[in-house]
Amino acid sequence: MIDMLRPGVMIGNRYEIERYLAEGGMQYVFVARDTYTDRKVALKTPKNKSAEKRFQRSAIVSAKVNHPNVAKTLDYLVFEERQFLVEELINGLDMRAALLNDSAFIDPYLAAKVFHHLAKGVAAAHHVGVVHRDLKPTNIMVVGDYSLTEIKVTDFGIAKMAAEEMVAAVEGGEESLTTSQTAVGALPYMAPEAIETPRSVGTSADIWSLGAMMYHLLTGDYPFGQGLNAVPKIINAVQPLPPAFLLSNPQFAPLAVELIQIARECMSKDPRNRPTADQLVDKFSNLCYSVAVRARGTVESFLYNAYGYISSEGGRVFFHKECVYGTLPKVGESVLFSCYDGGGAPRALPVVKLR
Amino acid sequence: MLIDYRYEFGDDVFFGGMGQVLNCNDLVLERPVAIKFMPGDVNRRRMNDEISALFKMRSKNVVQVYDVLEFKGEVGIVMEYISGNDLFHIHTAPVSSSEYIKLLWQIASGIADIHEVRIIHRDIKPNNMKIDPEGLVKIFDFGLSRDAVDGAATLGFVGTHGFAAPELYGYSVRFTPAIDTYAFGATALYIGARDLPNELTVHPPLPLLLNYFQRLAWPLTQDVAETLLSCLNPDPLLRPAMSYVRDVLAKHLLQGRHRALVVYNSKPSFLDASNRSVLLDLPNLGSVEITYDDFDFVVTATSGQVFVNNRAVYVGFKLPGACVVALGGTEHGARRRYITFDLSHPEIVL
Repeated sequence: MIDMLRPGVMIGNRYEIERYLAEGGMQYVFVARDTYTDRKVALKTPKNKSAEKRFQRSAIVSAKVNHPNVAKTLDYLVFEERQFLVEELINGLDMRAALLNDSAFIDPYLAAKVFHHLAKGVAAAHHVGVVHRDLKPTNIMVVGDYSLTEIKVTDFGIAKMAAEEMVAAVEGGEESLTTSQTAVGALPYMAPEAIETPRSVGTSADIWSLGAMMYHLLTGDYPFGQGLNAVPKIINAVQPLPPAFLLSNPQFAPLAVELIQIARECMSKDPRNRPTADQLVDKFSNLCYSVAVRARGTVESFLYNAYGYISSEGGRVFFHKECVYGTLPKVGESVLFSCYDGGGAPRALPVVKLR
Repeated sequence: MLIDYRYEFGDDVFFGGMGQVLNCNDLVLERPVAIKFMPGDVNRRRMNDEISALFKMRSKNVVQVYDVLEFKGEVGIVMEYISGNDLFHIHTAPVSSSEYIKLLWQIASGIADIHEVRIIHRDIKPNNMKIDPEGLVKIFDFGLSRDAVDGAATLGFVGTHGFAAPELYGYSVRFTPAIDTYAFGATALYIGARDLPNELTVHPPLPLLLNYFQRLAWPLTQDVAETLLSCLNPDPLLRPAMSYVRDVLAKHLLQGRHRALVVYNSKPSFLDASNRSVLLDLPNLGSVEITYDDFDFVVTATSGQVFVNNRAVYVGFKLPGACVVALGGTEHGARRRYITFDLSHPEIVL
């Protein structure tokens, strides 16, 4: 950690550091208070020499994108020879921590919502000529736990620097591809051309990444696996076979089929065969999905191999095994669910087992 | 001319004065910004509560504020610059009732967000709203400078004729959120009719002689037309909250776009605007007809014993978002039949 960035330190006579928040491959993130406007902001500062070189450029790139599904760039400054990017503070978690930590996957309704919003944010970036290049769950912020009150893409600018590190990793061959911290996290979602010809990737590389993330969130599996073994599969765009639970339940299969179909189109080997971000937005805005809030609870009972009750802060909720997406949870296990009015007890749908 | 060492303005002359807005280029982040100037002293680092609330507000439909600065004795609020025409301009005019409702819904959402953080805009009118390149309505130009001295009360008329509520024509005026509601109503009428009726252009404005919202080029449903009309009620206490107006409009955005996934014996089928009705009939036990009315899935006929999520149904019963319809009472055991209904609709994402 950098000594000068302790809580209480004033940056540029204006931003007072409150606490360390997180770090990525390229930068540290702090929570600070803007003493001029009295609002909390995210303060990002480069982590190493290669990040320093492009930091202002990256701030300028991210400042171009203006959309509710993209984190807003507020300011850029240099203080005591250190660069800072000031960004809107998002009170949430990155998508991996928010959606893939407590559960292996999410139900199709939630997945549709996530990717509708992401497609919107990415489309806004593509409209102003900005390609993200490094879309992965840790570059997406989610507010409101599984209820998803806000979904925002971050690090549009930083991604260009990360991309350069990835070019170095890709051109350095297999060894550096699996040792570069940045490349390891991005690899499962990287388009074939980002590996084969990393210097010339366009907007359609972002579309591939959206498709790969959607597959992961819906099924719990990386579409092409992880690490080196993934590379040949990605390059040949070997389409994964979704797990059986995706299509076995008539309650969820219709939407799951539509989503898997979209993910496959996004993961077309030839970039020209992938939908544009605008076409993706169009597809998602015509999908029907429920946006009900999610709650957490514990399975209290399960009777006659058919139905049971979930206990939660909001009370006791009825569930039927046909309302479960994925593995049937056992008594005592945690679940995520939405609930609807009912006699005796409200009724849950969908129900997803938590880890 | 360079403002605050980073904002470049094309002209070297700064006039200052109330509410002047300069379009500048931020040389640091290389993006256009709009700076609104007003009297004040930013060096004291103590802005009035209203400006501070504006900085903390997050709304998709209100212009984003980036920064605050002081220049030649005035406070400047640095905001995102929105290119394109404002809503007064004919090029932004909606061409269908669904476009009209979506536009009004965005405006109502923005004003509701403003009211939620206890700010009153004070100058709602079509000229103070733009559609950004992504299709989002952005409200700007808050009447902030007007209460810098004496809080929420002011002397004499302020506002824009045609959009100002009748109570603003009094001698001593207290601002309430209802003045924004009135201005929203006038804005909605202008955007729909491209003109204001005579009742609104006299000073002070008079009650409307008829519901002009029912005479627009496209038909509005009665509840939308009445809700919009109620915004122009001469009595501020009888105008609806903007959050209510927003919700009425939001409901109509989804008119005819809901879908029910119906699963019986593991076979899925759908009810929607193209297939509105289903009759579930288990002879001698129970029968129910469920119909989609463009907003809800409603029981339109029933006989025998029929339960939805364990509740007995009646004609007019609206299905909850996820439910099981049971035909036959519990005493019939295995002879009962269950059909599940899962309701959903497209999400409107801006």
